[in-house]
Amino acid sequence: MKLLLIDHEDSFTYNLAHLLSSFGKLEVKNYYDVKESTVKKSDIIIFSPGPGKPLDYPISLEIYEKFKTKKKIIGICLGFQLIANGEGGIISKQEKIFHGYQTYIRTNNKSLRFPNNHMYQVGRYHSLKLKEPFDSSTMHITMRCEETNVAMCLESHTNDICGLQFHPDSFLTPNGKQFISKIIQFKK
Amino acid sequence: MNNSAILKTLLASDKDIIIYRNSEKNNFELYTDFIEKINLNINNLDKFLNKLDKFKAKKKYDCYIGFFGYELLCKNLNLIVNKDKHAFPEGVFFRPQTKIVIDSKIDIFTKSKLDLIKSLKTLKNSKNISKNKIKVSPSVENYEKIFNKFKKNIKAGETYQIKIAQKYSNKKDLDIAKLFFQLMKKNLSPESFCIRTKEFNVISCSPENLFKVKGNKIVTSPIAGTVSRKKIKSTKQARQFFENNQKEDKEHNMIVDLERNDLSRITKPSSVKIQKLKFVQKYQYIYHNVSDISGTLHEKVKLSQIVKAMMPGGSVIGCPKINTLKLLNKEEKEPRRIYTGSFGYFRSIKDMSFNIIIRSILNFNNNNEVFVASGVILDSTAKNEYHENFLKAKSLLDLLK
Repeated sequence: MKLLLIDHEDSFTYNLAHLLSSFGKLEVKNYYDVKESTVKKSDIIIFSPGPGKPLDYPISLEIYEKFKTKKKIIGICLGFQLIANGEGGIISKQEKIFHGYQTYIRTNNKSLRFPNNHMYQVGRYHSLKLKEPFDSSTMHITMRCEETNVAMCLESHTNDICGLQFHPDSFLTPNGKQFISKIIQFKK
Repeated sequence: MNNSAILKTLLASDKDIIIYRNSEKNNFELYTDFIEKINLNINNLDKFLNKLDKFKAKKKYDCYIGFFGYELLCKNLNLIVNKDKHAFPEGVFFRPQTKIVIDSKIDIFTKSKLDLIKSLKTLKNSKNISKNKIKVSPSVENYEKIFNKFKKNIKAGETYQIKIAQKYSNKKDLDIAKLFFQLMKKNLSPESFCIRTKEFNVISCSPENLFKVKGNKIVTSPIAGTVSRKKIKSTKQARQFFENNQKEDKEHNMIVDLERNDLSRITKPSSVKIQKLKFVQKYQYIYHNVSDISGTLHEKVKLSQIVKAMMPGGSVIGCPKINTLKLLNKEEKEPRRIYTGSFGYFRSIKDMSFNIIIRSILNFNNNNEVFVASGVILDSTAKNEYHENFLKAKSLLDLLK
């Protein structure tokens, strides 16, 4: 299996790369020099975390739009927000900023990849959040922050797409690999 | 001449020397008789690093020892930096032929003891430049402007943590070796070093190691979290302070993940481990919160890859590194030169150590400069951080009085 990790020059990308590398042949490319031919050859596209907002990365948004029905897509943090943006969601500032926080999140019954009503402890690095109401016929919010109720996971019911607002790659997320493993093993 | 007399004469001479603290052995190592001096710039950096890949020190005194400056490290990441009006060397490495271990007894390892003794004739003549008031840059007003700009950048997610540097400077002639040992008596930091050359001088009591390589193992020990010993009286209390202080704790978490990331660029998958999470170290005026993180290097790793992945050290810059450096270089007007660069030695690709150059005096062009930095925190004010910086600089500013 070929995995392509699109790096938005984050300082957490390679933590994610180490998690991903046990699932197949991983290639890491900077967002500004990804070639479409590389994307086409990959089985899974992963959008990395990164600074700023989705609109700062038009090339990544374009790749998402082109391949969202064709490939398995995973987004982490900014990657989650890129997916949300690609599905018509708005990314906005939040009251409390979560940089380096460990918090609890809970799954709901819309999740296809994770057990219902399950609590996880996760590490978080984000200033921005998905603004709600978020209306999408195909994409569902399947995890939320216990404290603020902010969206923590987006799952598609029609395509093979899943985004996580938190960091499975952080040392603040115990057993972070299980999240990646469940997403990768999921079959539509 | 016995060893102790040789050392004494050497310290009083005007010969180029480098002294580096060896905290594992609790002594100092002095290097001199340099047969090579390489001035680095962005055009010869890769060539130099590639040459070192094949280098293996055979004698006890043999190594390359020196520093990579901040501006060079930024250029190495393709970032634009401010131009230095006075053309300070962006990086310099020396290859010594003499090493003197300064411990309860003094050991000399040298190619030729006779040559060493012969070279000690020139005595230093003091210039006696009258001391001058200490200047600070940026001013409180400008610091506040930058601080508030960066607050907005944090709220917009463009940086998660950013540290603004401040420069204290004055003019005073310094007896480098004497001042260095004077400083060591008061503030013996694990990564202390001093460089004495005709062109420039450095005295540093850096507490922070950026990485050590032994065999195929690499270890980094980032510091994130500082508290004054005026407020806190014991290591145990400091431990509690760091645990209960949300801001310090979250900042530290971020740096741990950043360093895990940087190590992951050059190490085998799943080999990166947090060895020791959040332990306290005590210094003259402050306590620090430190972690140890390690990894197993890729078999064919090159020095250029290690430098690119690890430098400049993230704990003194902020996170994510690239965008934070871009924001800093846009707002800061003073070239950082050695500050937040890295000093260390290289004996082979399996034996090297580099620190982060902080808590340092650079003496260059008749000017002494000390940089300090502190993080922009949403619920802190510019004035608070401005004064916090002074505390970090204090043990060095004492020397410039």
